[in-house]
Amino acid sequence: MVDELLFFMEVLVGGLLAGTMYSLVALGFVLIFKASATFNFSQGAMVFFSVLAFCGFMQDFNIPFVLAFILAALLMVVVGLCTERFVLRPLMNASEDTVLMATIGLGYVLEGLAQAAWGVEVRRLDLGIGDFPVPWIADNLKLFISALDITAGLVAAIMIIGLFLLFKYTKIGLGLRAVADDAGAASSIGIPLKHIMLLVWSAAGVVALVAGCMWGARAGVQFALVDLALKALPVLIIGGFSSIPGAIIGGLIIGAVEKVLEVYIGPFFGGAIEGWAPYVLAIFFLLYRPEGLFGEKIIRRV
Amino acid sequence: MSNNSANILDIKNIEVRYDNVILALHDVSLKVPKGKVVALLGANGAGKSTTLKAVSTMLASERGKVTNGSIEYDGNTIDKQTPSQMVGLGMVQVLEGRRCFGHLTVEENIISGAYSRKLSKGDINQELEKIYTYFIRLKERRKSQAAFTSGGEQQMIAVARAMMAKPKMLLLDEPTMGLAPQLVAEIFNIVKELNTKEGVSILLAEQNTNVALKNSDYGYIIETGRVMLDGSAQSLLNDDKVKELYLGISKKGRKNFRDVLKEESLKKKIN
Repeated sequence: MVDELLFFMEVLVGGLLAGTMYSLVALGFVLIFKASATFNFSQGAMVFFSVLAFCGFMQDFNIPFVLAFILAALLMVVVGLCTERFVLRPLMNASEDTVLMATIGLGYVLEGLAQAAWGVEVRRLDLGIGDFPVPWIADNLKLFISALDITAGLVAAIMIIGLFLLFKYTKIGLGLRAVADDAGAASSIGIPLKHIMLLVWSAAGVVALVAGCMWGARAGVQFALVDLALKALPVLIIGGFSSIPGAIIGGLIIGAVEKVLEVYIGPFFGGAIEGWAPYVLAIFFLLYRPEGLFGEKIIRRV
Repeated sequence: MSNNSANILDIKNIEVRYDNVILALHDVSLKVPKGKVVALLGANGAGKSTTLKAVSTMLASERGKVTNGSIEYDGNTIDKQTPSQMVGLGMVQVLEGRRCFGHLTVEENIISGAYSRKLSKGDINQELEKIYTYFIRLKERRKSQAAFTSGGEQQMIAVARAMMAKPKMLLLDEPTMGLAPQLVAEIFNIVKELNTKEGVSILLAEQNTNVALKNSDYGYIIETGRVMLDGSAQSLLNDDKVKELYLGISKKGRKNFRDVLKEESLKKKIN
């Protein structure tokens, strides 16, 4: 009985921590959705682009880890800058659908650029954190939990706190929240939309880099990272497209549910339900709570 | 009125098109003297909002364009400026329908108006206190979420927010839309106060002709994108046509717009 419970705990904790990896990817989407009400289809490509550049700096140019990370982060700011100037600004008065299509195009450009610059083979990314159970926890709590999962959890927590402080207490954060509520009114009182766009795209780029490092360390830096974006979709539907805490909680839920279902219900379906269980959950949310758990409800006075 | 430097805003014969096709303004000219309140009156679709947006350059975001004529504001020709540049030049528009940031608190809404100015925390608090002396109601509700405040309060938030940008000129688009009569009076009292104490020039678009003219120095009446009539507020209030068509008062007594139309069509039949 105790063994059963321990095993369940292990599955659950493992799932929750793996979920923070989804949260990290979803976070990038939320940032951009808040400012421009657009689902950024290029987020997956940004993850791939940023982490491949990071690996490239380290492995091809022998730049030390920290410096390479900073360079990759700066590169993502440049990507944000170019996106604002060459994609978003010309489409400023276009419909949201047009911008959505443009992000799909941007995704292909980033994928192509990344592979042209750094090659197509799978790269190994060693963060110095192993993807194996932490001995101390295994000995004392009898739970087998990966060090990489714990790191991802910590990194996600730090990023959330950082973003929360940025939005709540800084001037540009206030500007972003104003734009998220009513972009027209924000520009009528002199909040320059292009600064806000630049901020969110750069921030989303850096978040993509962090998410890419975590996933790259686990699964190798490869083209498949692009499809991570698809995993973020159920996370966003559950958490709410415009909520940062929602992205985190949504990721945790998806992570936990898919692992628990896989272990306990998977055998009845012949296994591998991990791949589609989150989408089933997402459909239920779409039916009964379409704004997600934490999505901003449309406030109506009665 | 002929001296240009006396006018903060001088619109000369502008024509505005949306999507390069739809002609919204045919020929609008108007002047706002420094430190005065000018009312722009007319029915729905007459072109009031379009005129204001042409001035504040908000037209571009609705695919509209000034295709003829010129706009001079405070020594600048308005052409390719962005709305945030216009705010920098001291012109702020309060959009139709209040447009508060619903998820922000009342105070955050007001502070957001100072975004274009480089102010320290202390300066912002000082400005806030000054603003609250005009909008006493808002001070009591400073921590509420803006979306949950009443329509009148939201209008006050919108004006207070605009005032935080320290404008030389305010463009108010239908500030009394959908408000109860006491609130209409309250809003106009505040507008008047801002005009006299802060020296802000005001261009005001309104459908509420009577109240607007009583609180203005000068008025323009536009219909289907053209200025039909202009004059001092007093002369417009006494004008028979204005009385009959916009104030619902005729020599024979009270009358509404429908009666006027009926009379017109009767006259046509007789002719």
